[in-house]
Amino acid sequence: MKHAMLLLSLVLPAAGADPPPLAIRNARVVTVSGPVLKKATVVVKDGLIAAVGENIDVPKDAWVIEGEGLTVYPGLIDALSNWGIPEAAALAPAPAASGRTSTTPRPAPSATPDPSAPPPAQGPEDRPSNTSWQRAADLVKPTDRRLEAARSAGFTTAVTFPMTGIFAGQGAVINLAGEKAQQMVVASPVGQYLAFPAGSGFGGGGGFPGSLMGVFAYIRQLNIDADYYRQARLEYEKRPAGARRPDYDRASEGWLESPRILLPATRAMEIDRVLRLAAEVKKLAVVYGAHEGYKAADLLKKAGAPVLMSLKWPEKARDADPDQPESLRTLELRDKAPSTPAALAKAGVKFAFYTDKIDRPRDALRAVRRAIDAGLSVDDAVRALTLAAAEIYGVAGQIGSIEAGKIANLLVTSGDLFQEKTQVKFVLIDGVKFEPAPETPPAEEVAR
Amino acid sequence: MRMLAWVLACALPLAAADNSLLIRGATVHTVSGADIAGGSVLVVDGKIAEVGAKVAAPKGVRIVEAKGLHVYPGLIDSGTQMGLAEVGSVRETSDVSEIGDFNPQLRAIIAINPASEHIPVARANGITTVVSTPSGGVLSGQAALVHLDGWTWEEMEIRRSAAMVLHFPVIETGGGRRSSESQRSATFPEAKRIYDKKLADLRGFFESARRYRQAKLATPAGFRTDVKFEAMIPVLEGKLPVAIVAVRERAIREALQFAEKEKIRMILAEPREAGKLASEIKARNVPVILGPTLTAPLNEDDPYDAAYTLPAELDRAGVKFALGTFSNSFSRNLPYNAAQAVAYGLPREAGLKAITLNAAEIWGVDELYGSIDKGKWADLMVTDGDPLEVRTQVKQVFIHGREISLDNKHLRLYQQHNKRP
Amino acid sequence: MKTGLILSLALAAAAFAAPPVVIQNAKVLTVTKGTFQGSVLIQDGKIVEAGEKVMVPPGARIIDAAGQYLMPGIIDAHTHIASESTNEGSISVSSMARIEDAINPEDISIYRALAGGVTTAHVLHGSANSIGGTTVVLKMRWTRDAAGLVFEGARPGLKFALGENPKRSGSGASPSRTTPRYPATRMGIEDVIRQAFVEAKQYQQAWGDYQAKVKSGVQATPPRRDLKLEPIVEVLEGKRMTHVHAYRADEILMMLRLAEELGFKIHSLEHGLEGYKVAKEIVAHGAGVSTFSDWWAYKMEAIDAIPYNAALMMRKGVLVSLNSDDLNANLSTRLNTEAAKTMKYGGLNETEALALITINPARQLEIDKRVGSIEPGKDADLVIYDKHPLSSFARVQKVFIDGEMYFDRDRDVSGRAEREVRKKALTDRQKEREKEQKKSFPTRRPS
Repeated sequence: MKHAMLLLSLVLPAAGADPPPLAIRNARVVTVSGPVLKKATVVVKDGLIAAVGENIDVPKDAWVIEGEGLTVYPGLIDALSNWGIPEAAALAPAPAASGRTSTTPRPAPSATPDPSAPPPAQGPEDRPSNTSWQRAADLVKPTDRRLEAARSAGFTTAVTFPMTGIFAGQGAVINLAGEKAQQMVVASPVGQYLAFPAGSGFGGGGGFPGSLMGVFAYIRQLNIDADYYRQARLEYEKRPAGARRPDYDRASEGWLESPRILLPATRAMEIDRVLRLAAEVKKLAVVYGAHEGYKAADLLKKAGAPVLMSLKWPEKARDADPDQPESLRTLELRDKAPSTPAALAKAGVKFAFYTDKIDRPRDALRAVRRAIDAGLSVDDAVRALTLAAAEIYGVAGQIGSIEAGKIANLLVTSGDLFQEKTQVKFVLIDGVKFEPAPETPPAEEVAR
Repeated sequence: MRMLAWVLACALPLAAADNSLLIRGATVHTVSGADIAGGSVLVVDGKIAEVGAKVAAPKGVRIVEAKGLHVYPGLIDSGTQMGLAEVGSVRETSDVSEIGDFNPQLRAIIAINPASEHIPVARANGITTVVSTPSGGVLSGQAALVHLDGWTWEEMEIRRSAAMVLHFPVIETGGGRRSSESQRSATFPEAKRIYDKKLADLRGFFESARRYRQAKLATPAGFRTDVKFEAMIPVLEGKLPVAIVAVRERAIREALQFAEKEKIRMILAEPREAGKLASEIKARNVPVILGPTLTAPLNEDDPYDAAYTLPAELDRAGVKFALGTFSNSFSRNLPYNAAQAVAYGLPREAGLKAITLNAAEIWGVDELYGSIDKGKWADLMVTDGDPLEVRTQVKQVFIHGREISLDNKHLRLYQQHNKRP
Repeated sequence: MKTGLILSLALAAAAFAAPPVVIQNAKVLTVTKGTFQGSVLIQDGKIVEAGEKVMVPPGARIIDAAGQYLMPGIIDAHTHIASESTNEGSISVSSMARIEDAINPEDISIYRALAGGVTTAHVLHGSANSIGGTTVVLKMRWTRDAAGLVFEGARPGLKFALGENPKRSGSGASPSRTTPRYPATRMGIEDVIRQAFVEAKQYQQAWGDYQAKVKSGVQATPPRRDLKLEPIVEVLEGKRMTHVHAYRADEILMMLRLAEELGFKIHSLEHGLEGYKVAKEIVAHGAGVSTFSDWWAYKMEAIDAIPYNAALMMRKGVLVSLNSDDLNANLSTRLNTEAAKTMKYGGLNETEALALITINPARQLEIDKRVGSIEPGKDADLVIYDKHPLSSFARVQKVFIDGEMYFDRDRDVSGRAEREVRKKALTDRQKEREKEQKKSFPTRRPS
């Protein structure tokens, strides 16, 4: 049906005995929702956090892990991802031009048109590049080979979306492990992922839309159509006799089901643009990318829009032309982008980090460190990797902090999360322990 | 010769009877020296016989009373597609770009269409001479210096081979604002590979040309002529300059080094970033043909007047330069490019020289063209004011002393439709 | 006593607002009310007074323009700057596309047009299709955001395009297209436009019927809103202006007659290079023409373009303006000398030439109550030149929009060194970061 359903993941007991509770004793515990506990114990049972505190009893049958010298964090959440969808791993990410992060595979322009291919879209009514009904929850598999690297870097959770097309589909909050795919899903659907593919012809063979203006017109029209669709269906269902039935339109259904929409924007003027669009279509919007957010913090605050902050800080491409003139604008963006999180925090804008198809998930923390160096407090940084993401997607009652009753997604490290030498000891996902995979050296590493 | 001139003169309805005349009472702007107020120019058999404040009129010669008017040398556009292209979007009308990278043997002169509409339109604003240049590949062919008058290209010809044109290889990554999807931007390593190969091929081509010349001089039995390498011989011997098109700093630098290494005479064409290398260019005594000043800056961060101030920058560094519109339909606006340069710091005399005498010098024809001096051909224009000012009207144009019709398609259409009831 | 109180309150209030500005001792070219040596008083963004002698209020900022020329800010009636997107060319009727969505307030072309004296610019959808998107009028208020650039209250427009551009864009030969898009001929273009209006009329009818039902208390379902047809209905209702890109005389005539048949007005023909051939018909319809000064021969439909076009049409009574059609600021940096060309080709006088880039485009865009000339009550959109603007040697010195100085050549020139310094500092920091990167990630596959 049309209202969102929250699915709680249940840790189903394996055939055989119930696993015993687990306790991490006398560790430093960063709860995020409360103060840091210098020496505390966390007890995990049945996949949930049973208790956390400085003076709590460890159950007699608990498997105890001595936490001396270790730090416990909530499991890290990648706030915008396609981890868990195996097909997405195969698609190379499109070069991030200006926040346009679509992975639309571009059809190679052929000399003779393929007769079996659908004719190019003639307008929004043809619903081009639209799979808004598609749910990540239906696509995730625990066998996605990227999950291991993600867990090894300290991530327990990702908010995963399909990412192909303009209306790519609906995301799900998933845990990065599970015996079966269904067990991974924490909440679904949590939002609609929108992308603005750059260049023309992404409607397929030169069809609609062929420009930014076309995309915006499409979003507006779909919004109108979806409302109309819903009204029409309601009226028809009340009194079908003698009435003409409305067309089935799953694109509209997908739009209506989405509790929020994710809109891409890198530059301040793009942020301004998408916020105005969101206000027009009266949908709760979350801005993703936001590298120039340092210039738009007040704007975001006024609009009440949360931000998904890309950790792929803009830098000159490694193989770029060294003599290519670069504009002041570009240089400034690269210089100041890491200061955006601090600016957002100062303005009171809610934001969460996402790894943005970074090559190695463990580089994400290095990227966060740049934000800390540029003024973000460590507390806010941790929050942006954990509870903030949960709050943005409405699942803060289940994950994002270390509190009794929440899902046992934990990250245990050898020290402060953002220190270079800190290592991930293990993560718990739904109470199940995963140790980091052995480091494979990068392929073409040369001796320095 | 005279008979021919007379026949030609009769065929042109508005032309003067012959190529001798006296223009008097005008302000004569010789360009080579001071202006002469209330001066006169005597033309005999097409050549300037006398210039001065008081010139006696030989018996029977046509007199052009030019009180309150101005006489200037005819303008020279040092880079155009004149006669080589007619309608921009129609490929069939363009003969500018041939297929292939190394075509030094191609001659623009024979492809110039003397009936091009662009010719009467340009000369109606005082452009008497242009350089028509080919533009394809790396070695594009030979540019021609021509008058904007003549029944055939042969009659238009001043120098059938004015320069060899070389488009210096650049690393092209493509892309840029709103580039279409079909122009897939190449990565830098890919583009560099292509560039390296082109440069190597270019060097190799020059090397082969030198070997060819050497072999030819030794005249071995059974020597086989190679048309391409034949065309390179004047270049290698320093007799024919090479106009190297190099726009950005890196290309300009490499072009200068290339010319030095290959020991060729060089003219630098369209160097938009020449300002940064002005002293280098001056040190090597390389003359420059600048493209339009009336254009936007190259880079986003460039000052808004970057293109307007470049001529003044070069002038201050002592570089000799002339201007070209690198167009056909806009050749008539050549003087306004000079005006913009003058507005933004170029001394007026230098601005005028850039479209007259300097151009003649760079193309090696200053003995006979480029200024109003005794002994030079009478390529002149009579105006009612400063030709650099848009509002100025060109009253008369002379080429080799013959008055040229200022009639052109635009004037005809104007007059025709003005009459519509 | 009461008037004294009110007066002092008014003065107090004035003190809180921006101080008045007096531009003094200039040669003032009002365009509509003659030329004189004098001054202009600006307050609260408006021209308050213009004359040989004006009142100088206390606290006024004085700008001495001795030896200089003051004219109204230039209005570029047709441009494509300041927009991240120009064409929604995938379909033949894309009236749902809005240029306003794509405004790029950081386009350096805005600044460069400003440096060329342009204060107002009409930004249009491109000419890739028969009916394009809606257009927007902007003021060149450099550094303001997108909303801050919009010319408040300017009547919105809809772009049409005839001739070679929509045909070429739709053809199978176009690189982005795998199947050709109808139409391929001028015949087809007329058809596309007529069909769109027929559809719009039906849409208008359906909504009219619905609203009538609602009014009379009858239960009714509204028709589905169609964002493509709504702008066309607005054209029919006279609420939206029409701007038609047209070159050839035959297509100009076609459009005039089509509009007359379908019951709407053509407000301006864009470029109209053969407008001089059908000036009579254009005048009778009441359309304006916004054209170039001397472009020709770049397309087949431009082979009969003549630089006398503007003057000829003007003499026959057409309301003519000159535009830049810029994508990157080029012609818009020198519309003053473009206007001067009409004096050379066609013999327009100074005032007529200046009108082509000031009051005429203002009237075409129906913003002439606000801008286009130096008259009390109008917006203080002004340009100071160091020489007469119609001289090839004139340079823009200062540009005011709404009484605020948005461009100052002296400040621009003196700020260049500082920009270079800032750029170098940022480049150095970038190099540092690259070095750090190389240390942490010795060799990586190219991204």
